[in-house]
Amino acid sequence: MTRLPYVRPMQGWWRRNPYYVRYMLMETTSVIVGLYAGILLVGVWRLSQGQAAYEAWLAALRQPWAVALHGFMLLAMLYHAYTWWKVLPKTLPLIHVGGKPVPGLLLSAAGWTATLVISAAVYATVRWWGL
Amino acid sequence: MPDTGKIIEIEVLRYRPEQDAEPVLQTYQVPFTDDMSVLQGLQYIKDYLDGTVSFRWSCRMAICGSCGMMVNGKPELSCKTFLRDYYPGKLRVEALAHLPIERDLVVSVGDFVKKLASVKPYIIPKEARSLDDGEYLQTPAQLAQYEQFSSCINCLLCYAACPQYGMNPAFTGPAALALLHRYNADSRDGGKAERMELVHSEEGVWSCTLVGYCSEVCPKGVDPARAINMNKTSSAADYFLRFVMPKGVVK
Amino acid sequence: MEVFKADVVIIGAGGAGLRAAIAVADADPVLTVALMSKVYPMRSHTVAAEGGAAAVTLPHDNLEYHFNDTVGGGDWLCEQDVVEYFVAHAHREMVQMEHWGCPWSRTADGHANVRAFGGMKVERTWFAADKTGFHMLHTLFQTSIKYPSIKRFDEHFCVDLVVEDGRVQGVVAIEIATGEFRLIEAKAVIIATGGAGRVFRENTNGGIVTGDGMALAYRHGVPLRDMEFMQYHPTCMPGTGLLFTEACRGEGGFLLNKDGYRYLQDYGLGPPDPSPRNKAMELGPRDRLSQAFWHEKQKGRTINGPHGAVVHLDLRHIGERKLRERLPQIYELAEEFLGVDPAREPIPVLPAVHYTMGGILADGKTASPVRGLYSVGECSSVGIHGANRLGSNSLTELIVFGKVAGDEASAFAKTVTIGNPATLAKQAEAIRARALGIVSKDGGTERMAVLRTEMAKSMEDGCGIYRLGPEMQATCNKIDELKQRYKRLKIDDHSRAWNTEWLLAIELGYLLDVAQAIVYSAINRKESRGSHQRLDGFEQRDDANYLKHTLAYYAGDGAPRIGYGAVKITKSKPGTRAYGAAGEKADAERKNEASHA
Repeated sequence: MTRLPYVRPMQGWWRRNPYYVRYMLMETTSVIVGLYAGILLVGVWRLSQGQAAYEAWLAALRQPWAVALHGFMLLAMLYHAYTWWKVLPKTLPLIHVGGKPVPGLLLSAAGWTATLVISAAVYATVRWWGL
Repeated sequence: MPDTGKIIEIEVLRYRPEQDAEPVLQTYQVPFTDDMSVLQGLQYIKDYLDGTVSFRWSCRMAICGSCGMMVNGKPELSCKTFLRDYYPGKLRVEALAHLPIERDLVVSVGDFVKKLASVKPYIIPKEARSLDDGEYLQTPAQLAQYEQFSSCINCLLCYAACPQYGMNPAFTGPAALALLHRYNADSRDGGKAERMELVHSEEGVWSCTLVGYCSEVCPKGVDPARAINMNKTSSAADYFLRFVMPKGVVK
Repeated sequence: MEVFKADVVIIGAGGAGLRAAIAVADADPVLTVALMSKVYPMRSHTVAAEGGAAAVTLPHDNLEYHFNDTVGGGDWLCEQDVVEYFVAHAHREMVQMEHWGCPWSRTADGHANVRAFGGMKVERTWFAADKTGFHMLHTLFQTSIKYPSIKRFDEHFCVDLVVEDGRVQGVVAIEIATGEFRLIEAKAVIIATGGAGRVFRENTNGGIVTGDGMALAYRHGVPLRDMEFMQYHPTCMPGTGLLFTEACRGEGGFLLNKDGYRYLQDYGLGPPDPSPRNKAMELGPRDRLSQAFWHEKQKGRTINGPHGAVVHLDLRHIGERKLRERLPQIYELAEEFLGVDPAREPIPVLPAVHYTMGGILADGKTASPVRGLYSVGECSSVGIHGANRLGSNSLTELIVFGKVAGDEASAFAKTVTIGNPATLAKQAEAIRARALGIVSKDGGTERMAVLRTEMAKSMEDGCGIYRLGPEMQATCNKIDELKQRYKRLKIDDHSRAWNTEWLLAIELGYLLDVAQAIVYSAINRKESRGSHQRLDGFEQRDDANYLKHTLAYYAGDGAPRIGYGAVKITKSKPGTRAYGAAGEKADAERKNEASHA
């Protein structure tokens, strides 16, 4: 009798477990970040074509569908930021303070806090300058 | 035999290479008590219902690493997964994912053993020392740098968790890479340069996309995701710095 | 069948087998080593050992103390010259393990740390958290990967030795994945297959601890020595029998009865100190502690739990931080299996079978009476444990005698050649037919689990912590009966690939033979010594008649023939085993005498 190991197919692997679904969502947010960067690049390019072009671009962004899209992208960015800091500790060497390991959650929490604080600061600055 | 009147339904994915073309589910009714593990449920099936179900087990205390299997789609050690947590629902038990099934709940472990050997999982001493000189000195802080990674029981739950391994079995994989790191991080070891080639390679750390499920399922808190991803930094640094220091960063 | 050749074959890849393999590879890389195990090496039951490995280390410790602790702990049934070798070579082997990467727990300045352990006068137990066996096994396995001359036969189930002309010349094994047989022609064979605790109902052992190698050697005429001495570990989990290491007590744990009273002080182990005192109270030897439990149970002072009578292992005063650092695995076991937080509640425990002191007759160099056949580790009786083993002597035994076995087998292998292939093949075919006979049989009536359960219950009844003649006789009769019923086994699985029912059936055969050796040895020892204690008129130790080893010889279907062998006494004359205050007094008296001599 020779061995006949059975290899199970991987098709649809990410649908089999909620953990994998969340992972795929996280990876998708990177694409959305890329998409947003693309929109900003278009804006820069339109700016280079003169004020009229730039105004037209801004007008397009104010359309209801664009606002909805930006709302969706903002949610994706928030999830992206949340998961970014969540996995960051996995990339760091072990840190010990006073003989005890620094828990990853603490590092993530520092990251989330920094993100919120800096985002709030940027937003306040933009609003204050009336842009 | 348990005598509480409580019965749980356990579905087992069967595969008998001598008669089955592919795996098929078979259901058993198992009487149980609250302190029974999934392993004990399987033992009941084998002892009293169907002697043909094959599965690995030994220590019953989550240290030998034999009894890994998928329980309702999640990689678990059957000896410390309890039937009471699934009752009155059904329990589905399958062989660990991403590994070929040899028979029923038994998977091929040979690939892992090869991967383990490939990481040179032994001390390559940084400095020579004779037995007469006694032990190397290693402070508790130095021990803490690698101790958690040395706790790997080779249960392969992390391979069952890792979709990258599932899609590409050439990937060295979480446990083997965690053990690679365990040796690199041991103050007595000087073999980092020798292990670097594997680390750098496609089958090394760079196949990992930080899904992170491996660390989630690890029953011993090894955190292989961390072991791998903290080495991406050192791998990148080594790669770039070799233009500046051709002899390599790592001594 | 496929045939391989090797200079040395090692059956069993646990701590002892791996150490022996490395020793052969180190001795001479030209020699081929076939390292065979029915499980992958990292699954071997060495992995479950927790507490530590003893070796004289601290400046105020010395070899004589370790020697005396061991010989006294063994109730003077030890081979004292072998114990002397053992204590003298322990430290060097610990350092070797450390050089190979074993993550020993350390003192603040980086030296290997040592802790107190039961029956040891001075702290000398090296430890790696509370997973010492795990770390030693993985260190040895990973180190063995370095040696190209070690060829592993993973998941190969050994079904017999090939003995020809009074010399072992090969082994036959089943490749579990396919069910095919393989013959390995060998010049020397080392058996390192572990103990036989699964013969009993409640035990700390893994499923694989079924006395395989013991049965194989036994069936080829090698006597099993001192089989009646089975160690009950005093602190095990009710229901499963899983181990709560002695280190719990080394770190200061208390054993309390239902009144919250540290009852060990009533059994010659007191007086009770709030902190652990070596060789006293909870750090007394295992047999005394298990016996105290039995007495408390008779007096109705144990606590009734869902799995019967228990006592409480109280670790609360040690504090969560220290518990998580020093006893992390224990913490997890209590929480996950029992739902008990050891920092806040006491853990229910009871004694369960843990270790087989006896085994294959081995001289100080691990050699058996069959030429070329060696045995090492729990499966062997090399003579260091006597009637009761001290905790942390066993892990040290694996590496001290693992090296000896490897060295001896290599030396022997160089003096002989591989046997006649035709003769070996003929024996191998007969072995194959016998083994296949179990899986191919039809129409059996006995269910394996039923036989196994009856054996285990009967052994618990007859060969428990305390033994009585009529109960032991009932067990003798039961085992004899089970051996007959075994011939009518009903097998569901007639396949060949990964047929674990077949392998379990072969293991049951091993278990029954070993169980028979145990109970017949026990009923014939008409005294109490170490872990063999009787309540039927033979309550005292009887050095005049029984300062000797029991030797059980296989007699096929019939009861084993029981013989006796002399005990080697060198420096330590049989005395009283004194612990607690009595022990300290005895020590002081001995010191006084020595200084006045």
